[in-house]
Amino acid sequence: MTGYPEGYTSPRPEWTTGRGLYNALARRADVAAKYFAVFLLDAGGLAALWLLVTYAYAWYVLGITAYILVPWWVFALGVVEGAILWESLGRSWGQKALGRELTPVSGEATPIRRLLYFVLWHLFGLTGIGFVFVPPLHERWSGLGLRRERPSAQAPVPWYRTSAGLFVAVLLVVTMVSALGVTLTWESLRRLFTQAGQTAEFWRALVRPDTTILLDAMRDMIVTVFMAVLATLFAVAVSVPLSFLAARNLMRGPIGRPIYTLIRGAMSIARSIEPIVWAIIFLVWVTALRSPFAGILALWVHSIADLVKLYAERLEAIDQGPIEAITATGAGRLSVLRYAIVPQIVNPYISFTLYRWDINIRMATVVGLVGGGGIGQRLINYIWGVQYRQAGTVMILIVILVWAIDYLSARLRAKLA
Amino acid sequence: MSPTPGGAGAPRDRLKVLCRRAFSFLLDWMAWGYVAYCAMYLLNYYWYTVHVDWWGTLTLPSWGWPVVILVTLELAVWCRSLGRSLGQRAIGVALRPVAGERIRLGQRVLRGFLWHLSVLLAPVWIARGEEPLHDRLARVGLRTETPDPERPGRRAILTQWGFFALFLGALTMCVGWLIIGINLQVLIRRAPQAGRIWGEMLRPDFRYFTAPDPVFHLRALSYSILDLTVVTVFMALVATVLGGVMAFPLSFLGARNVMGFSPAGWATYGVIRGFFNVFRSIETIIWASIFAIWVGYGTVLAGILALTIHTIAALGKLYSEQVEGVSPGPLEAVWAAGGSRIQVVRHAVIPQVLPSFWAFTLYRWDINVRMATVIALVGGGGIGDMLFYYKNQGDWSKVGAVVMVIVAVVWAMDYISGRLRERIA
Amino acid sequence: MPTPYLVIDGLTKVYERGQVHALRGLSFSIEKGEFLVVIGLSGSGKSTLLRCINRLIEPTEGKIWLDGTDVARLSAKRMRRVRRRIGMIFQQFNLVDRATTVRNVLTGRLGYMPGWRSLLGLFSSQDKRTALANLERVGLRDKAYARVDELSGGQRQRVGIARALMQKPEILLADEPVSALDPATSHSIMQYLEQMNRQDGVTVIASLHFLSLARRYGTRIIALKDGQLVFDGPPKTIDNAKFKEIYGEDAEEVEVR
Repeated sequence: MTGYPEGYTSPRPEWTTGRGLYNALARRADVAAKYFAVFLLDAGGLAALWLLVTYAYAWYVLGITAYILVPWWVFALGVVEGAILWESLGRSWGQKALGRELTPVSGEATPIRRLLYFVLWHLFGLTGIGFVFVPPLHERWSGLGLRRERPSAQAPVPWYRTSAGLFVAVLLVVTMVSALGVTLTWESLRRLFTQAGQTAEFWRALVRPDTTILLDAMRDMIVTVFMAVLATLFAVAVSVPLSFLAARNLMRGPIGRPIYTLIRGAMSIARSIEPIVWAIIFLVWVTALRSPFAGILALWVHSIADLVKLYAERLEAIDQGPIEAITATGAGRLSVLRYAIVPQIVNPYISFTLYRWDINIRMATVVGLVGGGGIGQRLINYIWGVQYRQAGTVMILIVILVWAIDYLSARLRAKLA
Repeated sequence: MSPTPGGAGAPRDRLKVLCRRAFSFLLDWMAWGYVAYCAMYLLNYYWYTVHVDWWGTLTLPSWGWPVVILVTLELAVWCRSLGRSLGQRAIGVALRPVAGERIRLGQRVLRGFLWHLSVLLAPVWIARGEEPLHDRLARVGLRTETPDPERPGRRAILTQWGFFALFLGALTMCVGWLIIGINLQVLIRRAPQAGRIWGEMLRPDFRYFTAPDPVFHLRALSYSILDLTVVTVFMALVATVLGGVMAFPLSFLGARNVMGFSPAGWATYGVIRGFFNVFRSIETIIWASIFAIWVGYGTVLAGILALTIHTIAALGKLYSEQVEGVSPGPLEAVWAAGGSRIQVVRHAVIPQVLPSFWAFTLYRWDINVRMATVIALVGGGGIGDMLFYYKNQGDWSKVGAVVMVIVAVVWAMDYISGRLRERIA
Repeated sequence: MPTPYLVIDGLTKVYERGQVHALRGLSFSIEKGEFLVVIGLSGSGKSTLLRCINRLIEPTEGKIWLDGTDVARLSAKRMRRVRRRIGMIFQQFNLVDRATTVRNVLTGRLGYMPGWRSLLGLFSSQDKRTALANLERVGLRDKAYARVDELSGGQRQRVGIARALMQKPEILLADEPVSALDPATSHSIMQYLEQMNRQDGVTVIASLHFLSLARRYGTRIIALKDGQLVFDGPPKTIDNAKFKEIYGEDAEEVEVR
């Protein structure tokens, strides 16, 4: 731009470069995300309240299970309109939860302006058109905008005098009332007080355990312990490398981020499925003839999912300083990994592994219940065979085993810390 | 560890040192015992090829037991004399000469032989408060290993104990592989069958998501997936609330700093902590099987009771550890102002621990939702009833639908509880 | 007049999607062997400037000529070559706490080692001897095999200096090296830097908080304010008016003894 007199040329608009365009879009997305987060929280909360109230009404009054009872569009319209009305005219629970409030950009927040905001949000907010502009159109024309709430010197209003507080309280009460009604039936409560004798044999085992089954039970315990140890070891072998791919601070850029998201997503799905369910799937796979194998596979999958999460979270919390320092010496990426990251994570990793081993011992007894081998399988066979005294004996053994491993793992972890 | 184990020092310290030595010796002995077990298992498996069940039958003639015990004992003794054993490494000691720089091999061999004499005379030297006889006669002693600034330690893998630990690990892998019957061939051979199941599960059948399944009945009522999901979440909710409410007062009784140091206080503390520990080590699902016998198979109440009991024990332990970890300053302040024990708890302890109590409760709720999904296996009620019903029918596309709903619910609860905990912390 | 050793030309750094400008078109040059001190308030861009020089932070715009090569446009691989000529020490020391002192010092050689050797941790015996010699030089020979988390703040910074010495640097970047230390220790650390500057001829660029330290050790001072150069000259030319301009009207000069 040389050669022109001062003020003759205008600077190139920011959005005409790739980065500038990206920045402009990202800024608009940020603003829209803030508005929609509040809106979704409000609409979701109102929907939950509506559903729960209907559920309780249907359960107690009509004696059926129902959720809406009105045409779905009435429900949707009610929830959306209710949410917008609440946001425009008062302090909604979404605003409260995210620490924001509707404040005037300039002047006073008069009822007229609030009504204007209510209408404009329909036209420009909900449709998304308004967010093309910065500040968004509904904010510009109503003079009201969502801003971070300012600390005020006045004493806060007690929760029972705010709409948000009352809303949460009502939601909790309705939830508890319907939960208690649905889960506790008079029939089962009556049995709780009259049928205690059914379990007498169990407790008898505490005084007179069946010693004839001890040797067999010990063998099953050995299998259980080996299942836990091997599942943990195999899981560590897989999850240590995976954890590096699942750490947000190490996986940046257009290739790294999708890998991170993929692994984290897959792991959190695998973790949501209990080992028991995994054991069922694997039992069909390797047949019930090899039940401990199915059990160890189930433990393995669940351990990987759990360990990757624990490891990766630890990796995300490492001190960035040494990484910076070793990069500054001119070292390559692998050297940075080896000298700046690995020394920081070795002990926590071992500690997490011991913790997971402890959990796997418990889980190994549990997967046995679906036929995953080990002591759990023996226990469930006794229970279903109505051999309660033997079952009680096995349970005592399990308690001792779990207790011992728990103590051992806690001691070792305390030493590592 | 004091510089002269078994030597000078108060009797109590001497006892402590002796206990540590005994522990480290037992560790070595047990390690060799484990090697012997594995060796026998492998012998059974490969040599006799007699009846080897999936759990690994151990066949040993009756005269074999003393042999095994003696051989492992000898191995442990010689390991401890000739080098640095795993047990010595575990308590951080090493054999050092009384005088001079290095131990001669002769001294080590002498110590090994003398051990047998010394162990018979153990009561004498223990009573006299001396170092072990074999150590004194061989002019060596077990000393705490101090890092030498000039000579950095050798790599762990090159030391005796490091090699032995690696050996134990490898042995565990081999024997565990055989005991569990890991068979990768089966995994591959039956992959088509498994693939069929996976395929069906990934094409979920959501026909009965909101409409009740007319074939599936629980106590003469038919349910949809959604109905049972709601019931499952409610189970977890009720159990967490009940468990939290009951664990709250109990946790103060199980905290040493609140209970004081009177005999009654100690007794209450011991009983409550024992209750927490025992009940916690019985898994929820095992509790559910007991309560299913008690209040009826497949009732929701059985599941709730199981979850509640386990929640009380687990939360109680976490809570009371928090109570024990409070900073003593505010407590002193209330004591100094003339407050009673109740007032101290109310005004100094509770404000400090409440945030972490909430965090633990939310965390527990998350766990309870997970547990509630599978507790039906042993008759605890909830969505698991449907899962296991469809599984037994072999209707894998409906199993897939149920599993997906479970994943969604558990994931959502995990997320919500995580976010709330972040807010609290 | 010789060509300057390091030339910074129009250096700009923008953060947060174009919202925050850390450096705005900064330009200056340094001769070999200078002890340049960068002063300015927190957030004036001192750290960003230092980190742009060895590209720990990617500059948005501008050129950085180091000895005739434009550092800002080098590929990642060539950049690593350049980085090993540039030593750096940090405010928070940035040592691996769990490793021993000598191990931390040895990491200074990583830029010179082939990848497989560094992965296996096979430092040559020459490197080990140099590491011990450098520890001797900063007076920490007896702590060579102690873990870093057992050391005090001043000792840790000396380990940081020894690590930088391992690179045999031509230029040393010191990012507020004494901000986390007490006055007496600060002087001892600054004297090590001065010694490197005088004896080994290392060009030093140090950012400092205290003007008194800058006056005592620097051969030249530059001052930044909002990412722009507001002063450039020898230490004694900073008078009270200049000081107020750099640090704001309310500032009061504090002497570090």
